[in-house]
Order: sequence, then structure tokens, then C-alpha cells
Amino acid sequence: MTQKRISKELQECLTTPPAGIKVNLVDEGNIHNWNIVMDGPADSPYVGGKFQLLLVLPTEYPFKPPKINFKTRIYHPNVTFDEHGSMCIGILKSDSWKPSSRIPNVLTAIQQLLLEPVPDDAVEQGAAQKFKEDRKAFDKEARDMTKKYAK
Amino acid sequence: MANNDMEAQEALARDFQPALEGPLVGDKKSSLAITEEYAKADPIYVVKTSALPQKYSHYRPVLGDGNCGWRAAGFSYFETLLRLRNKAQLEEEVARITSLNNLLKTAGGFSEWVYEDMAEEVTGLLSDLANLLPHSIPQAEATLRERFNDPSISNSIVYYFRLLASSWLKANPASYEGFIPDGLGVDGYTKNWIEPVNQEIDHLGMTLLIDALLKPVGFAVEIVYLDRSEGSQANSHVFQSEDANGVPTNPAGPMIHLLYRPSHYDILYKDQAPQIQIPQNTNIQVQRATSLSHRHNIQTTPAVMGDMSGLDMSIFSCIPGFSLQQQSHHGFPSQYNTTPLEAYTPSSISVSPISPGASSAKVSSNGLPATFPAQPPPPNSLTPPTLPSTHSAFPPPTTQLPILTHLPAPHRPSLSSHTSLSGHPLSSELSSPSSASSFRPSKYEWEAAAEWEGPVVFQTSTFKNSHYNVAHYNNPNFQPEEWTPESEDPPTGRKRSS
Repeated sequence: MTQKRISKELQECLTTPPAGIKVNLVDEGNIHNWNIVMDGPADSPYVGGKFQLLLVLPTEYPFKPPKINFKTRIYHPNVTFDEHGSMCIGILKSDSWKPSSRIPNVLTAIQQLLLEPVPDDAVEQGAAQKFKEDRKAFDKEARDMTKKYAK
Repeated sequence: MANNDMEAQEALARDFQPALEGPLVGDKKSSLAITEEYAKADPIYVVKTSALPQKYSHYRPVLGDGNCGWRAAGFSYFETLLRLRNKAQLEEEVARITSLNNLLKTAGGFSEWVYEDMAEEVTGLLSDLANLLPHSIPQAEATLRERFNDPSISNSIVYYFRLLASSWLKANPASYEGFIPDGLGVDGYTKNWIEPVNQEIDHLGMTLLIDALLKPVGFAVEIVYLDRSEGSQANSHVFQSEDANGVPTNPAGPMIHLLYRPSHYDILYKDQAPQIQIPQNTNIQVQRATSLSHRHNIQTTPAVMGDMSGLDMSIFSCIPGFSLQQQSHHGFPSQYNTTPLEAYTPSSISVSPISPGASSAKVSSNGLPATFPAQPPPPNSLTPPTLPSTHSAFPPPTTQLPILTHLPAPHRPSLSSHTSLSGHPLSSELSSPSSASSFRPSKYEWEAAAEWEGPVVFQTSTFKNSHYNVAHYNNPNFQPEEWTPESEDPPTGRKRSS
């Protein structure tokens, strides 16, 4: 049905991924599950970390957005600090997702989220509060967690 | 009426909830179902939905998942192409849709990878239908239904239509800009109203889809608005290609009918593609027999008649006194007002506990508009509750009630027709084509009988060939058969002239 599109997007991400991102398939026979390794952006407390994400394309793709979770723990207001690593990001919400949105754009949007957390739309309230009230303490915590989990 | 009843009624009228489960595109049903759905709604809906089945015999429900308008119009596009039975036209549509990719790319600004899979589903379905058409129309119809009920294919096709409408708007902004709501502008409108996956189609979206997809192929679209506005019939609006003077350019072209209820679309059909379903009619009878409400009876009536007109018969043939020659839908109510009483004057020997005359009187005393096409009470509702159970060995009670009119014999049990057949000169002519030994064809022979395009059809779906059915009298050669045991007086069969 939409295999052609998925193949094209995968091909693009495999050959010319956005800077700081590597993509490969979890299982070569299934183009719906992607492994993503994202470098912590340079101007963020996550720098130096390598974050693993799992991207799953639902059967309804592109009519439903891909599901993306952090497999590596990350201290961030918009990502749950647990084994799920669920993310809250505008482009992936089903009411703003459009079939013309592209996976490379989603990946760059996640990089952007690491650079600029959105504390008002947080899933980790503690991290969000610290981010708003004491940016230095937040950055330190994020750096420590990156060292601890994302090396 | 109690206060909470009133509130319940209003809530029902206000909160129509389209189906959220079930097939994306349902099976064609009698539009009686719509009437029943609103039987307890507020009177505006009751009146409007009662009138609906007279004009539109069938409807096809579409799942209310936020795409129903797009899906209903899209399905109708394919179905109408199929109905025209024109392979060449289907192939032309493949070419047209393929060339529209250019519009999507240049005017729409969509990349090929966005639309190519979806456009391929559309052209793929069109060419599959074109290939199936010469071989098997039922198979082509089944393919269409299957594709539209496979979510990934169906949603691809529907989204293709969104992209097409969006591109059409971007290509012709001047024609539509004035209709864009909330000062969104073309880009804001397409992003907020057309391109989100489950955003229901709005009026402008439907107009765009009709202009881009349906008008170029010569299809008109009638939208029937079922809402709380004043009037005894649902308002409707026809969208079709018109020249500069507003004269339709293709007045004889095919028309798609859509039923609009606030934020929901279904598909309507007018008297075509009869789907003979005996069990359906059985349901109607059972339901009416158990119904205690006259109002309900009347509401269901028009759909029953719509059903029968779908059977390629005059709907009037089920009413005694009407002949098949009176095919026109116009003037029907006034004919009704006088005839049924006369035609239904019960013979003195009728054992029916409710005479049709009394029933008609109740209709008017109920304060309902006299123009409502009522119908003689269905046979089941006349069945005396004490009907001897020994009759169960015979065909259903509906066929063995004493006839009310025309014939003097006090009893004409179904058995009699069998026993008298052998001696009757006309018996072989009266038999169904596939059963020479039995006067009454079984329901399994009915489908074949319905396809037989003879000048006179002897059966209607509701009455089958019961004694209530007077379609026989339109046959100039008709001679009623009667049970004439030696002990009784010879028959004096009066024949109603046709």
C-alpha cells in the first residue's frame, strides 16, 4: 500500500540522514521498525551522549504518525524518565500529524527538542520545574544523566 | 408528553451519532432504516425522514470516522462509473487521474512520494474495475466494496481526494477565496481543513471535490440536507456543471445522491439496482405486527413502498384498486384519499378483526396529514391471535387469510389453488415459469421471476402472491381460481376490470 513511500523515506535516511543521526533497521526484513542513534546536540547538556530511539511505523502510516520512543534514558521535560522514554512532541500528535510530514523532519524536530525543551508541554514535571526555575541545576542534572546512561 | 420524554426526544434529534464501528462503507439498505432511526425524534425529523424513502429507495451507511464525506463521494465516484458499464470511460479516468498528478505536484506543491502510493490505489482500482467489467459486474462491485473497506487502501484513496481538493483550490484560488472560513487564506484553509487526516469535509471541501473529481466526468451530485430546518421534506441542492447562464451542461448525466446530517454523510439511491431480500420484508412484517403505534406504522410505510418500486414494479400495485398503468409518482396522495376505502370495503364474510376502513379512519383521526401515503394494514396485523395452529402445515398465515375483496368465496385457503389447478384451463399460464406444478412460486424462484421482464408482474414483495395482491388483475387474461367444492354454489368470480 504505502511500501513505496516508506522505502523512499528509509532510503533517504540511510544514505543522507540529518546531521548527528544514524538510522538502521531493527530487522532487515521489516521496514516498519527503525533503530535511530542520535548524538546529543552540541549546544545542549546532552552533548557527548548517544541516544538510542526506536521508531515504529504503524500499519496506518502515513495516516497515523510514527511512534518514537527513547530507548536510552534522558533527563528532559518532554520525555518520560523511565524505560518507555515516551515523548511529547507536536509534530507526532495525531491531530497535527499530516501524511505529508516526513520522517527526516521528525528526526530533526527531535534534535530541536533536545536543544529547546518545551517545559509548558512537559511529561516530566520535576524536570520542567527545574528547567524553568534553575536552569543551571537542570543542565547539570541532564549532563550527569547523559554521562550515566548515554555513553 | 412528560417532560423527560421531551428532553429525550430533543437529545435524540440533537445528538445524531454516526456509526463509529463497523465497515467503512456499509451494505446498501432500505432507507426505511433511516425513518425508523428517527421514529422517536422530534416531529420535523419524523416528517422529513418519512418522506425520504419515497424518493430514495436505498441508502448506504458510511462510517463516521471523520472521513465519511470524502469516502461517500469517492465511493460514489467509482460506483457510478461502474453503473455506467463503460469500460472505455473507466480507462479514460485512469488517464485523467494520472495526468492530475501534475496538478498535485505543481499547483498543490506536494512531492511525488506523498501522493504516488495513494494515486496508484485510485488508478489501480479504476483499471481493475475496467478489467473486471466485461467479465463479471458482481465481481467488480465486490472488488470496489472490498477496497473501500480495507482501511489502508480506503484511506489512501480518501487522502488522495483530499490532496486533489487541496491542489484544486491552490490552482483556482480566485473562484473559492470568498468561501474560505475565518480568513484563513488558501494555505491556512488547506492545512487546517483539508489535509489533517480525520478532519471532516466541510461545505467548501465538498464543493472542491465535486469540482475537481466529479463535474469533469459529467456527474452531478445532489446533497439532501436532513436537519431541523422548517419543511416537510429534506432540502436538497444539486451540484452540476453549468454554463455561463447557469444551464446544466450535462442535464442527462448520472447523479450521485448524498444524505447530509450535521457533520455526517451517507449515500442515497433512487429506485435502482433492486436488491431483492425476502428476509428483509419478513422483518418488516414481523415488526409491524408487533407495533402498537399507528404513527409508527405510517412512518414505515413509505419505505416499504420504496422497496417495491425498487423491485421494478409500480409501487401502487400493492394497493388494491391501483393498476400498473398508474405509474406516475405525481398525484398519488389524492388518488389514495378516495380509492383505498372503496377498494377495501370488506366483504360481509371477512373474518378480519380490523377492517381496513376502520384502520384508514384511525389514520385521519390521528391528526396526521392526509397526504401521507398510507397502506392497507399488513396481513400479519390482521391475523387473529387465535388462528388455529393446525394451519401451520400450510404456507404462512399471511397467504391464507380470507380475501377481503372481489371474491365471494368465504374461504380460499392456499390448498385450494393446488387442488383446483388441474382442472383449470389457465393454470399453466398462471404458474411461475420455473414451476409448472405449483401456482405459488417459492421465495427461491422469486429472484428469477423478478428478472423476467414480462408486461405484467403478478407479485409484489410485501404481498408476494397472497390474495391481497391485486397485481393479477392487470393481466387481461386473468381468471381468478377458486375452490369450488361440489357442495357449494358455483363460483361467480367477479373480475375487476383493468
